[in-house]
Amino acid sequence: MTTINEHIAALLRDPQTGKALATTDMHGVPHIILDQTITINDQGQLVYLELIETSQTNVNLVNSIWFKRKVAITLHTPEETYQIKGVPAYSIICGPVFEHYYRLALERNPDYDLSTVWLIEPEEINADTYAHRKSKEQAEHPLVMHLDRLALGAT
Amino acid sequence: MCAVTVQSASNTGELTLKEVIAKYSGVSPFIIIKSDITRRSFVYTEQALAALDKTKHQYQQRVLIGSNGDGQQAVPVSLLLRDGTSIIAMPSPHARNPYVIDQIDGKLYITDHGEVVEEVEYWYKPDYYDKITSNGTPMWQVASARPQRLDIDPNSHCHFWHKGGACKFCNINANSTRSHKEQNIQKQLQAQDVYETVREALKQPGAFTNLKMSSGSILSGAEIFDDEVEMYIEMLQAAGANFKQRKFPSTLVASAFNERQLARLYENTGLMTYTSDIEIPNEELFAWICKGKHQEVGYREWKRRIIAAVDIFGRGNVTSGIVGGCETAHPHGIQDEAEALKVVLEEAEDFARQGVSMVHCVWVPIQGSAFHNQQTPSLEYYVQLAKGLSDLRLKYSLNADMDNYRKCGNHPDTDLDRGHPVAG
Repeated sequence: MTTINEHIAALLRDPQTGKALATTDMHGVPHIILDQTITINDQGQLVYLELIETSQTNVNLVNSIWFKRKVAITLHTPEETYQIKGVPAYSIICGPVFEHYYRLALERNPDYDLSTVWLIEPEEINADTYAHRKSKEQAEHPLVMHLDRLALGAT
Repeated sequence: MCAVTVQSASNTGELTLKEVIAKYSGVSPFIIIKSDITRRSFVYTEQALAALDKTKHQYQQRVLIGSNGDGQQAVPVSLLLRDGTSIIAMPSPHARNPYVIDQIDGKLYITDHGEVVEEVEYWYKPDYYDKITSNGTPMWQVASARPQRLDIDPNSHCHFWHKGGACKFCNINANSTRSHKEQNIQKQLQAQDVYETVREALKQPGAFTNLKMSSGSILSGAEIFDDEVEMYIEMLQAAGANFKQRKFPSTLVASAFNERQLARLYENTGLMTYTSDIEIPNEELFAWICKGKHQEVGYREWKRRIIAAVDIFGRGNVTSGIVGGCETAHPHGIQDEAEALKVVLEEAEDFARQGVSMVHCVWVPIQGSAFHNQQTPSLEYYVQLAKGLSDLRLKYSLNADMDNYRKCGNHPDTDLDRGHPVAG
C-alpha cells in the first residue's frame, strides 16, 4: 500500500471532486461508475460504498479481492486529474464499521440499503492531466511525433 | 496478508492448501481456505484469545449442531475473512492437524505451522445480545447472529434420536443436553421471547438481512411432523408480528413436510423460503446414515417433498443441504472420491433440474455424533464439490440468495455464487 498525500486526500474528501471507479470482470471487460461519495479513511484506504449487492461493480470487486486484480479510481477537478490504482483489501458486510456507513448512507438517502463497504488500498498514484501525460511522453518517447510539427514555419 | 502456505496433508499424498489454490486458480482462495479450516479445524493461541473483547464480540450462542464451546475459557463463536466470507466453526482440541489463530502486530491471522495464511476477525455482538426478555431469558439464548442472519432455533431436541434413529453425523441432542446442563440454555423457546428478541434486533440499523428458524425434528401429531409445523407457525407468527408487511426475508430449515403442511406454513406465516436437508444424496447411504429419517419417511419421499415445495415457495426459494463429504464415511461410504463426487453431483443435478438448489456444508466429525472418529475427504474434494454445485446453479439459472454468503455463510458453494450471481 502506498501513501496518499494530503492534497489528494483533500480532493478525495471533497464531495465536489469528480470521481470514477473502474473495474473489470473475469473476462477483462471494463465497467466504470461515477460516485462523488468515494472518500478516504484515516488509514489511507479508499472507501467505496456499494449500494447494490449484485451490481456489476460489486461482482467485479468481489473477483478483484479474490484474485488480486487491480481497480482504478480517477479524481477530476477543472484544474487537475489524478488516477489511483489499487487493490480491494476489505469487503465489510457487517460490524461497527459497516453499520457506521449504513447510517451515513441512510442520511444521504432513506432509500439507500447499503450492501458493502469496500476498502481499496492504493498502490500507484499518477497525475493524469493532458499536460502531465504529454510531458511524460516527450521525456520517454522523444521520437514519437508528427514531422509537420517540426517543419520550417510551424508554430 | 494472504501469504498462502504450507503443509496440511503431511504424508497423506493429498495436495497442500497452497497446491490446491494453485491448481484451482479460478476458485476463490478465500473459500478454499474456509473449507480447509472447517475440515481441519483450528485452535487459538493465548494472544488470540486475549483479543476477544466480551463487550464487542460474540463468545456464547445457541447452536443446534456443533458446540457452544469446549472448556471453561470464553472463545469467539466464529470467524470472518476480509472478503466477508464467514467461517462457521468452533475450535477443536481433538483435531489432528489444526490451523492456529494467532494475533500478530495487533491483527488476527489464520496461521499454519507458523506461517500466515489469511487475516480474520471475530464476529461482533449485536446490540440485543446482552438484553433480557420479560420472561427473564437472555436474548442471546433466543437468537444467534450469524453474523447478518438472525438464527432462531425453537427446539433443540430431535425425536429421530429416540430408538436409535439419529443421523450419524449429528450431535444435536448431545449438544442441547450439555448446553442445558452447563449454561442453562432451554431446549424449547417461548413465542413471547422470540417476539421480544426480534423486536429488539430490528432496532439495530443494518445488522440483519434474514431470519432463519430451524429445529430438531418433531415426529408427533396426527400426521408425522404436524406438531413441528404448528410450532413453527407459532414462532414465525411471533417473529412476524414485528414486521410491517406480512412476508419478510426468512428461511426455515426443517423436516420434509408434505404439501398440506407446507401450504399451512406458507399461508399462515411470513415465511418466504424453505430448506429441508437431504443430508446424504444417495438412497443407500441415506438409509445407513440417516436411519430414522429413512425408516419414518424414506429417501424417495423426503426428496419428493422437497421438490414439491417449489410449487409453493417458488423456484430458487427452496434449497436442500447436504453434509458434504459424509458420503465417504467408513465402512459403507464411497471410498473413491471421484466416484463419490460423481454420485453427489448427479443427484444434485436432478434436484436442480426440478428447481431446488443443493447446498453443502463441510462435514466435521463432531464430538457427540456417531461419526466423531471418522476422517473427512481431501480438500480437493471440497473444492470440486463447491464448484460443481455452484456451476449447476449457473446451468439451471437458479439463484441461492436465500442461502448466500451473508445470510447463511455455511456453504462454500453459495459463497462462490457471489462471484457470478444468477438472477432469480
